[in-house]
Amino acid sequence: MTVIEASSQALSLNQRIRALVFSQEGVLLLITIVAVAALSALSEPFRSVENFLNQGRLLTEIGLVALPMTYIIITGGIDLSVGSIFGLTAVILGYTWQNLGFPLELAIITSLIVATIAGFINGWFIVRVGVPPLIMTLATLALYRGLAEGIAQARSARGYPDWFYQLGQRDLLGVPTQLWILIVAAIIAAIILARTPFGRSLYAIGNNETAARFSGIPVGRNKMLIYAFSGLMAGLAGYIFVSRVSTTRSDMGTGLELDVIAAVVLGGTSIFGGTGSVPGTIIGVILIQLLKNGLSLTGVTGDSTIVVIGTVLILSILVNNFIQRRSGRMSS
Amino acid sequence: MAAITREKFQRSAAASSADILKRLANQEVILLAAIVLLTLFVSLYEMGALGRAQPRFLSERNVVLVLQGNAYIAVAAIGMSLVIISGNIDISVGSLIGVLAVVGGNLAVWLDKNSLPVWIAWIAPLFLGGLAGAVNGFLVAYLRIPAIVVTLGMLSILKGGLISVTGGEWIKDLPTSYFLSQQRPLSGLPEMLGNPEGFLGYLASVIGQLPVPVYAMFILTIAAALWMKYSAFGRSVYAVGGNAEAARLSGLSTQSIVFRVFIINGVFVGIASVLFATQLSIIQSTVPAGVELLIITSAVVGGVSILGGTGTAVGAMLAAILLSAITAALLFMNVSPYWTKAFQGVLILITVLADIVRRRRQARQISG
Amino acid sequence: MGTPILELQNISKQFPGVKALDDVHFEMQAGEVHALLGENGAGKSTLIKIISGVYKPDTGVIKLEGQPVQFNNPHEAQAHGIATIYQELSLYPELTVAENIFMGHSPHRRIGPFNVVDWRKMFEQAREILDSLNIHDLDVRRKLSTLSVGNRQRVEIAKALSQNARILIMDEPTAALTEADVVRLFDIVRLLRERGVGIIYISHRLHEVFELADRVTVLRDGQYVDTKLVKDTTEDDLVSMMVGRTIDNLFPKLEAEIGKPVLEVRNLERKPMTRGVSFTLRAGEIVGVAGLVGSGRSELAQTIFGITPPDSGEILVDGQPVTINSPAAAMNHGIAYVPEDRGTQGLVRQMRLRENISMAILRTLTQQGFINRKAEAELAARSIKQLNIRAYSVDQVANKLSGGNQQKVVVGKWLASQPRILIMDEPTRGIDVGAKAEIHRLMSELAQQGLAILMISSELPEILGMSDRILVMREGKIVAEFDRSEATQERIAAAMMSAAAPNNANGVPQPAAMQEA
Repeated sequence: MTVIEASSQALSLNQRIRALVFSQEGVLLLITIVAVAALSALSEPFRSVENFLNQGRLLTEIGLVALPMTYIIITGGIDLSVGSIFGLTAVILGYTWQNLGFPLELAIITSLIVATIAGFINGWFIVRVGVPPLIMTLATLALYRGLAEGIAQARSARGYPDWFYQLGQRDLLGVPTQLWILIVAAIIAAIILARTPFGRSLYAIGNNETAARFSGIPVGRNKMLIYAFSGLMAGLAGYIFVSRVSTTRSDMGTGLELDVIAAVVLGGTSIFGGTGSVPGTIIGVILIQLLKNGLSLTGVTGDSTIVVIGTVLILSILVNNFIQRRSGRMSS
Repeated sequence: MAAITREKFQRSAAASSADILKRLANQEVILLAAIVLLTLFVSLYEMGALGRAQPRFLSERNVVLVLQGNAYIAVAAIGMSLVIISGNIDISVGSLIGVLAVVGGNLAVWLDKNSLPVWIAWIAPLFLGGLAGAVNGFLVAYLRIPAIVVTLGMLSILKGGLISVTGGEWIKDLPTSYFLSQQRPLSGLPEMLGNPEGFLGYLASVIGQLPVPVYAMFILTIAAALWMKYSAFGRSVYAVGGNAEAARLSGLSTQSIVFRVFIINGVFVGIASVLFATQLSIIQSTVPAGVELLIITSAVVGGVSILGGTGTAVGAMLAAILLSAITAALLFMNVSPYWTKAFQGVLILITVLADIVRRRRQARQISG
Repeated sequence: MGTPILELQNISKQFPGVKALDDVHFEMQAGEVHALLGENGAGKSTLIKIISGVYKPDTGVIKLEGQPVQFNNPHEAQAHGIATIYQELSLYPELTVAENIFMGHSPHRRIGPFNVVDWRKMFEQAREILDSLNIHDLDVRRKLSTLSVGNRQRVEIAKALSQNARILIMDEPTAALTEADVVRLFDIVRLLRERGVGIIYISHRLHEVFELADRVTVLRDGQYVDTKLVKDTTEDDLVSMMVGRTIDNLFPKLEAEIGKPVLEVRNLERKPMTRGVSFTLRAGEIVGVAGLVGSGRSELAQTIFGITPPDSGEILVDGQPVTINSPAAAMNHGIAYVPEDRGTQGLVRQMRLRENISMAILRTLTQQGFINRKAEAELAARSIKQLNIRAYSVDQVANKLSGGNQQKVVVGKWLASQPRILIMDEPTRGIDVGAKAEIHRLMSELAQQGLAILMISSELPEILGMSDRILVMREGKIVAEFDRSEATQERIAAAMMSAAAPNNANGVPQPAAMQEA
């Protein structure tokens, strides 16, 4: 009888803390705190509020794309085409505005619709035709980038009206405008994943797609939705990027997919699907940006910081594997 | 029912013409046909729509360029085919080519300054590539980290490492003896044949102009194809990728096979880096963009199933040539080169869909 | 008789909650086809897994030609000449026939420094092995993936022979074969027997046993029943040996009032396994569906539940025709389905108990679109209480529960959807006796509350104990129907198994023949 009484209670506080510390998010948070402390001690400019806000501006694009990528990887899929959709959106925006004479507002909306459709095409082929996600998005990585290059013909579109830069270059309430978008998007994405039936279904699909379907979950529809969402967010990130750098070029976002996947995996989402969280992903995004920034400020040159990111990525998975194996052994 | 089944068996016993056709209808033949058709189409288009007397697509110079263009991609795609056949993936190959090219170039300059033989700079990248492959392979096979995560990390490490070590400086003053890729082993062929006219002359001229990378591509592809067919190890790679559980039950060590596959891949990437670096007069200290995707694409379009277990080196080479031919074709048809990638994307999609349709039909035939 | 080629003495094997084998004996001569019979769950699979080195027995001795042996893994058993042909074939689809035959020991030759696969010799030797089996029509150069199931199986046999197998275990080899392939398989088996290979033959088709086997050993509930010469026995003998136990009080079937029809199925078609099925299910009624594995029972259930929507035919709920093209649609009409395989179809094992129980009805446990965690936890707690699930918390991961408790979680998930029609596919497979009784009691209670239950089971005592009516399926059709009062194990077993019209001493009524006509 005591068994049944205990069963309706939630986990004890002690258990929760232990679970947090030994989760990938916990390990990552710890690394982040240590890294921030060390970098702050080493570099005066690093610890300025200004610097942190500026880093927030820079990480927004990766952060936005990482949200749907978290969903997709949780279901056991992958989307390699996000960088190309990012570039395609930028080009469509510039092209429809400058060459087709669309009003800028309409150009923005058009480009975001194209991005969503591009994502939906991925999802449709993956679900209805059964193309493996890796292959499908590899093909559209080339295709969408090709469309961007073909439409742009190496031209770039500049000279936007002043209001256009509000999003990418200005502040709102003292914080970079686009950072607000990321914050809102991340909160919504986190709540959807953690607190709605839709979010729950993604975990079920990633862990056992058959059982999910047998439980009446619309597996195909949900998968198509998240790939379309991925397209939309890649498009939004592309639009923000154009606003930040004041121009469009067809090679924008090249290699973005790898940064995003690195952040998501670093944030504790298993590449095999089934586990992961938005807070983890956000910590992953922040950690990567802070490492880049902090190391460059402490004198390590520019792109070499990604060495550290690669190492952290592999190490964090190794550590996590180790912890999982140990905790598995302890409980069994 | 029984009679029909028996008849079917008897029919398959005799190697009927339909059977031979079926055997030919594989990815290699499809790719070869695609290359031939593309050549025909572009030539006719040039002569018809553009009114050229001689199709420039078939000029000796262009044929050589098409073959040479993706030769290093084709060589790297051999290694990639093995990796994918074994059920894994390597996205760090592009970065590795960049790193090894810089290492090779610097080594060549240093060797030349110290009056040491420059050919060492052609060999060293092979060992270093194998070493990098061993690291990847160890992490994947023995520490069981997913290949995509390992090689993603390796990509960052190599890319970042390259820039931080070199500071982005370009390598100039390369010794002339280093330019392996510009050597034409059979340049004397037309003369040897007494400068023949007509098709033979054309052929001799093309062969005479072929540089080392094209030979490397052909020789390595054939060697790899034979090796994958005739070595016990080659066959076991297919076994591991096709049915890992059964392979384990048959007593194959899947871990050591995967480990070795990554090392071999590293060596092929090393060779590719030499072919790549020795055709440049200046080596930039950056990673060539998108190379890993071209390599993976070649392997996949060449018939390597991303799910593992099937594929060939010959297919990968033909796919690399086709991709290079499409680029040239668009150029000669006066299509803006900026559309190249879009055409390549459509091509990948079509080949993948064709593969899925073929598999489905096969499955239906067997069950039906 | 000489020394048996294989002898097993006092073999026992215990799994958590289940005694799979209890003091079992088995003995086989060289050149003998020895059939192994028993119901699903009788312990046949466990026994052959012990012989082939997959499991180690808890107690008992295995002797090969009189010598005691111990196998630590399947590889060691293979090295001793024991080859197993499983139902799921262990072949490589993208390799050629010859390579599959010689995987791991292909012939090599030296060319200079290279030790290369000798393809010509491999093709020749593969050809020889196939010829020795009188298989002349199989191209050794073809890729395996292009072969039919029957041909793949022959490749498996050739593979076993290439390893000089002395003992060949065939686990339901004819289950997926066409008539013609069965004939050819039997020819091969007879050929092997002449060569002195010992063959353990497992099949549910009794006429095959009489056609092929020399001796037969029967297992029941993990216990050894008897070994007989086939010529000294009859089909009836074997059936009663297999099922011959009294129905104990494991099945507390309570009388329920049977009401109006809630589910009517008319001429339901979904090729290839559902072929013109019609039946009616009433409120308060438990209808049992019996049939061999592969007779189309689960396929029928999945067609009704919308996982594989029907090609044609009608489904009526409460007399109204309905369209069911997805599980969600089925749920909307009050249908629930507890699937056959709880590991892959029923549970998401990595997820929590709470999350599994709420999975099908999560949308109703929301407030403004958000999951109401309190309601979810309460639902799980109620389920735990109602079904007596032994778990320490609603947050426990489903994987950590025992089989019986996992099954209760799946049942709980579907009861939460408050169905009016409950389809249960093998509701008590692989769970311990206590949990079994609890699930049976629950089914009775649910029927009393007016639920209509369609129960698929391979255990005849369960079918007989629980059902008000019994449908028997074979080859995608309903071939017989019995009322609770007229059903016996022998009658059902005969209807399930005999490919020809049943013709046995008990004089089984012939609804099968009528339905087929």
